[in-house]
Amino acid sequence: MKTSTKRLVVLLMLLCMLLSSISSALADDDDWYTYTYSYWGEEMASPNAYAVTNIIYPTTIDPELGKFTSPSGMFCIDDLVFVCDTNNNRIVEFQKVDGVYRLVRIIYTFQVSTQLADRLEFEGEIDNTLFSPTDIYVKKMTLEERIENYGEYRGEQYVFPEGSLNPEEPETPENPDENNTENNENTEDPDSSTSSDTEDGEGGEGGENGEGGENGEGGENGEGGEQQPKPVKPTERKPNVVREQLDREYDFFIADSQHCRVLHCDYNLNVVSVIRDPKDDTLGDDYIFHPEHLVTDNAYRTYVQAQGGLNGFMEFDKTGTFTGYMGAAKVTISLIEKIWRKLKTQAQKDKSEQFVPTEYNNLSLDSRGFIYATISAIEDQEIWDGTATPVRKLNAMGTDILIRNGNHFPIGDISWGNTKHAASGASRFVDVIAFNNDTYCCLDKTRGKLFVYDFQGNLLYAFGNVGYTRGRFSQNQVTAMDNMDEETILVLDSLRGNITEFTMTEYGRMINEAIRLYKIGSYDESADVWRTILQYNGNLELAYVGIGRALLRKGEYKEAMRYFENAHDIENYSKAYQHYREEVVEKYIVYAVLILAALIIIPKIIRKIKKMRKEIKEA
Amino acid sequence: MSKVFSGIANFFKGEGWNHYIKTLRYSLYVILHPFDGFWDLTHEKRGSMAAAHTIVILTVLTHIWDRRFTSFMLNNTRWSEFSIWLNTLGILVPLIIWVAANWGVTTLMDGKGHFYEIYMGTAYALTPYPLIGIPMIFLSNVVTKEEGVFYTYFNTFALIWAGFLILCAVLMIHDYSLGWGLVAIIVSIVGMAVIMFVVLLFFSLISDAVVFFVSIYKEILFRL
Repeated sequence: MKTSTKRLVVLLMLLCMLLSSISSALADDDDWYTYTYSYWGEEMASPNAYAVTNIIYPTTIDPELGKFTSPSGMFCIDDLVFVCDTNNNRIVEFQKVDGVYRLVRIIYTFQVSTQLADRLEFEGEIDNTLFSPTDIYVKKMTLEERIENYGEYRGEQYVFPEGSLNPEEPETPENPDENNTENNENTEDPDSSTSSDTEDGEGGEGGENGEGGENGEGGENGEGGEQQPKPVKPTERKPNVVREQLDREYDFFIADSQHCRVLHCDYNLNVVSVIRDPKDDTLGDDYIFHPEHLVTDNAYRTYVQAQGGLNGFMEFDKTGTFTGYMGAAKVTISLIEKIWRKLKTQAQKDKSEQFVPTEYNNLSLDSRGFIYATISAIEDQEIWDGTATPVRKLNAMGTDILIRNGNHFPIGDISWGNTKHAASGASRFVDVIAFNNDTYCCLDKTRGKLFVYDFQGNLLYAFGNVGYTRGRFSQNQVTAMDNMDEETILVLDSLRGNITEFTMTEYGRMINEAIRLYKIGSYDESADVWRTILQYNGNLELAYVGIGRALLRKGEYKEAMRYFENAHDIENYSKAYQHYREEVVEKYIVYAVLILAALIIIPKIIRKIKKMRKEIKEA
Repeated sequence: MSKVFSGIANFFKGEGWNHYIKTLRYSLYVILHPFDGFWDLTHEKRGSMAAAHTIVILTVLTHIWDRRFTSFMLNNTRWSEFSIWLNTLGILVPLIIWVAANWGVTTLMDGKGHFYEIYMGTAYALTPYPLIGIPMIFLSNVVTKEEGVFYTYFNTFALIWAGFLILCAVLMIHDYSLGWGLVAIIVSIVGMAVIMFVVLLFFSLISDAVVFFVSIYKEILFRL
């Protein structure tokens, strides 16, 4: 008995080992460009929803532009694109005309009226230059609206003194920084810069070899990617370069980060108002306001994501007064944590990690005034178990109203261990854009990917990657993206200093169409579109759900159940099943009752007959 | 050959079959009167190994049927990763390791039970699982997701019941007090971990050794 049991154990263990080795041998090989996630979290290949249609190098826009050095902000409005070329202390404005991008102007300085001039004071001088501009928000505004909300600003022009800024400071000549000299080259003598820059441009254009050179530069700026190149203060007031005289009713809100202010100016670069030096009890005396990203809503409130802002976004009214924080997450401390904190000594408390609330890293405004915000200063584990939310949709109260009904949380990649690529760890969102149909796109810097979610939080498609070919980005260095229209996305790679233009494909348009039809209530038409999409991509579970919903409304429950089962949509399956069960019960209830009645009555009758017979016999 | 058939036929006709049926039906008494039941199971020889095997097989089958036939709404089985063998082993291996560990531990802790008695007791204690599980599979197919909580409740109940029965089995078979029985169970669980560790170690060493000899063999082939 015992020996046989032993043998059995050995046999079973052997079998176990064998089976486990088989399953690991079947590890799947997935390296799709565009993909979605199945219910089980597998990457499923998808047709491309966006195609790379253009790679924009500064030199292809205009030879005079030189390079972008650590550009960190970008904004698109109509046909114009604004890039905050952070370390070159300038903002580049270019225009898309017939599919070609051409330079409009390079913004270095602003004009200001005498009554507003002192608002531009920085380190004892009226400074109208940009110092590490990190983001720009462009808002459509007419002159009347501007004057009504911000007052008259076009007074007598302040005349700036000639020559360089802060001439007594010998700092810059002593440390001839790379960026600085390059800066001078680009702008001071256009002839020499043009020749040198075209070389760079050719290198860049000439294909992927060009990346090598730029990577080299990245190495100089900061090895390892995390270390940002140091901003260098502009030494003189450079004149703006104007190529096209456009007449637009736009206002700029610029996060002039190292100048500790937000500049608001009209399209002709006259400063309208300045947001600076926020005063509040919660801000310490030594607090320095370094705005990084910003939006301005329709009520002319400006929301600023500033460096070290742990309490959410800083909200400013149109007079530039700090009115409070917005979107700060409530910090919840569990009971165990409370008890634990009681037991700790003061030294331990100081040593232990602070409860760090929300540190947003970017924001954008959707067409209905909701703020989409991203957070990347969170632990991988929190992202994994859903306690942290890397992307949020904030209403006016600052409450997160993003719907997360998908099979997976909108956290980007849902499996990140053991990837073949050097990049590992959770997706880190650095930018988000919202489209008019409430789909939104998040930019992940870890793996250089874009994730597009629908209004319910289902992943529609994810694409992009780290690499050197078209449509791939340098790791951890994508900084911003924006959409030119509903179908074009621009992504800014700060290390390579280029912009990748993605344009929606037919497949992407069909998905948008299906969503649109669903949202206006044309479920059948929506299902028809989903059916077409299924022919392109049989992996898309959303399509099955879409079709299933339409069938459910039509009353074809059995068929609907089949579709919901394909998509593993338990909620809807249950609804369909309930109706289906009713149908079946209604159909067979008569027979069931009849059979039941027969089962009860027939024995009774038999008994009666038997009784009668007996009586007859006895009689 | 004919001998075998006649043997089987005799079993079904004769005393053997009756005894088997009687011992199998005794499992229903055991789960309702655990203390009496488990005492008599071994001490009065009212259980049989054949019945114990039957219950174990039923448990394995219930487990597989549960995965296979439970309604889609309550069944989170990923078919591409489903393996009947792994599911079978998932029941059998822990069962056997448990019996071995419990036998080893109770031998040192003055337990009265033999190896086969522990196996029999544990098998009988598993009875609620197929008993409740099989009807629940049918039930799951006529309920919606909201009504599906009954399925979950009843299955959880079956597991708790079986766990309680295993405790009773340990107490009765080894003639332990409650506290001592609980200690024995905890030590047995630790013992299970130790056994698994040793077995895995053994196999990994063996496989290393095999790889070593295979590579020597290959090397010799290359040199020749």
